[in-house]
Amino acid sequence: MNSATTRQSPIGPYPRAAIATGLLVLLLAFSFSGMRAEVWTALLPFFEWMETTWFGYVGKTWGGAFATIQAGHLVSLGVLGGAVLFSDGRLLGLYSSLPLRDVIDGSHQVFKWALAVVVFTGVFMVCGVAVKVYYLPVFWYKMLTLTVGILFAFYVRKPLVDRDLSGVSPLVIKLTAIASIMVWFTVAATGRWIGFS
Amino acid sequence: MTESKKSEEENPRGLKDDELAAVVVAGSIVVFFAVYWFFEIMSVRELLEMAYG
Repeated sequence: MNSATTRQSPIGPYPRAAIATGLLVLLLAFSFSGMRAEVWTALLPFFEWMETTWFGYVGKTWGGAFATIQAGHLVSLGVLGGAVLFSDGRLLGLYSSLPLRDVIDGSHQVFKWALAVVVFTGVFMVCGVAVKVYYLPVFWYKMLTLTVGILFAFYVRKPLVDRDLSGVSPLVIKLTAIASIMVWFTVAATGRWIGFS
Repeated sequence: MTESKKSEEENPRGLKDDELAAVVVAGSIVVFFAVYWFFEIMSVRELLEMAYG
């Protein structure tokens, strides 16, 4: 028998599920404990420092630069959303004439690059208005959903859809696709909400 | 497909692990999404009621 098939993880027979559940429990414990306020207070100097960086000065003093970077942020978010909808739509059974593997793999490549641009331009934009967004609850909701979205996309969804999907429960595939759409929808919605706060 | 992936697929426990992780996390996301947007919609409704009666 292959040694890989007999190897047992030290955290049980289902390590990925155990780690994912542990992270969710930690997240909940952090959200509903006093630690959240402590961390939030401790982060203020970091946000004040962000405004003093080169990105912060450019973002605050040159509106054209901020607007241009913001345009890149929005376009890349649109591309990211398109990749998510294309891939998850295919998992949900839409446009079934297109080859499943090509759609999933191609969309993931686009998703990765769009995410990199979203994060880079997002950091630049935050530097320009760091102290303002620090006091906005919706900014923290966006950071929470973005973190969950990234972990979900790379640690849960990707390993699942990389498999031969004929062996995976259709219900699990559909639930994963719906959750993926929901989490990135929330990232986009809370992101735009920051602009109106 | 890599050798490690092949050996994982020979092991149904690996597939079960990925499925279980997906159910736990995706289920949590769906529940969070429903609760979060429910309260946001209720909040907007209250504001509209205060503004327009």
